Amino acid sequence: MQRVEPSTPAHPARHLRRAAVAMAARCVTALLGGYALTAIVATLIARLLPISRVEATVWAMVPAFLFYAVVALWCFHEPRTGRVMAWVWGSAIVAGGAVWLLGVRP
Amino acid sequence: MTRSLRQSMAWIHGWLGMLAGWILFAMFLTGTASYFRPEITRWMQPELPMHRTSGAQATQAAVAELARSNGGDQQWFIMLPDDRTAITRVFTIPQPDATAKPAPGKRRKRGGELELDPATGKPIHARETRGGEHFYRFHFQLQLPHPWGRWLAGVCGMFMLAAIVSGVVTHKRIFADFFTLRWNKGQRSWLDTHNVSAVLALPYHAVITYTGLMTLVLMYLPYPIAINYKQPLDFGREAYGLPVDAEASKRPAPLVPIAPLVRDAEARLKAPVSRVVVRHPGDAAATVAISAATVSALNARTGTAVYSGATGALLQSPSNSGAAVSTVGVMLGLHIAQYAAPGLRWVLFLLGLTGAAMVGTGLLLWTAARRRPGATPFFGLRLVERLNIATIAGLPIGMGAFLLANRLIPAAATGRADAEVATMFYAWGAAALLQLLRPARQAWAALFAIGALVYVAIPVANALTTSRGLLASWQAGDWPFVGFDLAMLVTAVLLGAAAWRAGRPQAVRATRRVKEMVHV
Repeated sequence: MQRVEPSTPAHPARHLRRAAVAMAARCVTALLGGYALTAIVATLIARLLPISRVEATVWAMVPAFLFYAVVALWCFHEPRTGRVMAWVWGSAIVAGGAVWLLGVRP
Repeated sequence: MTRSLRQSMAWIHGWLGMLAGWILFAMFLTGTASYFRPEITRWMQPELPMHRTSGAQATQAAVAELARSNGGDQQWFIMLPDDRTAITRVFTIPQPDATAKPAPGKRRKRGGELELDPATGKPIHARETRGGEHFYRFHFQLQLPHPWGRWLAGVCGMFMLAAIVSGVVTHKRIFADFFTLRWNKGQRSWLDTHNVSAVLALPYHAVITYTGLMTLVLMYLPYPIAINYKQPLDFGREAYGLPVDAEASKRPAPLVPIAPLVRDAEARLKAPVSRVVVRHPGDAAATVAISAATVSALNARTGTAVYSGATGALLQSPSNSGAAVSTVGVMLGLHIAQYAAPGLRWVLFLLGLTGAAMVGTGLLLWTAARRRPGATPFFGLRLVERLNIATIAGLPIGMGAFLLANRLIPAAATGRADAEVATMFYAWGAAALLQLLRPARQAWAALFAIGALVYVAIPVANALTTSRGLLASWQAGDWPFVGFDLAMLVTAVLLGAAAWRAGRPQAVRATRRVKEMVHV
């Protein structure tokens, strides 16, 4: 995992900039991507749970924040920034597509 | 460059805590104070005596007064008093087309808010104040415009949750360090405190953080509603039994006597009524929605019975909510802790303080871990240190100034409620700026000492400006007032001790070093 630490010897400026961009991408993915994935997965669960409308809606919300926290923390554990972005944004897009195809519960 | 889970979690834990720490500290402190929201409000309106009025009687009195003063309104929200509240609070919503025309001589606050005497229904005569409501609102709105304060509080709540999860994963490593590492004594003592406050009360912290996020889940994550309901209001009706918003019929019809409806609702809901919402009063299509209190029930969302305002017929009986809705209701109940009797309430209050201590020591640890002996601190370290002082030692000054202003601003002054709130932020801001004049260690001591003086001044000002000082309250057996003044004095002692300790850290560090040498 690329990371700027005060104790490491001075990096060349380009390396430092690349590390900063990677860290910024990681933070945005954790914060916004994590939220997007959480929102979409909760929506998908609410739509698919084979129980009453109101119960499905609320059960989908109950574990959502824990899911978000774990996704966001994983974003800072996985060493490769590309992998972090691909997994979080990729699964958000896939789940989002499923939500779009399913549409509002009839 | 792969690292163990524990290493990455320790790293992110530090940054999560540092970035959100100051706001989380403020949320913990004001939220902890909000356990005593009604008591703070009562202390801040010392003119009001406390007497019990039944829900039915208070509703009847309030509705009679409202029919006289606000007959043309679209909606009245009547919040009834309970064992801990002295007044009936009413929020009125005027007809959308009608221009606001407050009757002369009527006491009217911003947003059509009225404070009524529960027994007579007449507007009360007490000093204008936000009371405990101010700390409560600040706790999740952070004095920012809607909805930004709630979003920021939500982001900080998520940081807290992630910090708890990563902190637990990290903990075994901390535990090992605790016995093996000996390289920085100053830091170790903070680590020690951080671990003790975090681990001892971990179940409380986890529950209060998660349930806090759940209180606003409908705002933070409304999408499950959108995918299951074409009309989002249908969700509110199904989940919480909210009445359908019927249009006014434009045919006038007087309201039926409301006390029998309240008694009927209390029988159906099996709990004392806490809120009555009258929609389209004086219209043939008027509705009266009566909701039960949360006293002694963990579930904060109990049912609502809806009656016709013109005939008194039951339109919608309280629905039994399902497992999920009840689960979230209980989460909400655990957070706001209305169920807690005085003893448990004090325990929760102390646990809330351990939360503030955990966040505060975490912030101190961030600076302690980055300070190198003999080296000039880098800019970021100095910035964090100054923000730590401004928040940890400065916020108590601001909160105390808010309470002190309640006694010092003349009771009859206009706009005094806003002036009290402004006092809190001016005092806090002044403390945050003035500490920059002193070196960090002296700044800590100075702000803690000022805080101690402010909290000593509160009971003194109370005794001098009202007839309900500590001695008088003690003699009258007025325990909420006695408790309040004593809590202020205890706070003053704690802040004084903090000032004393912060002022002489050398001696403390020397004794610690000796102790640790014994262990080595």
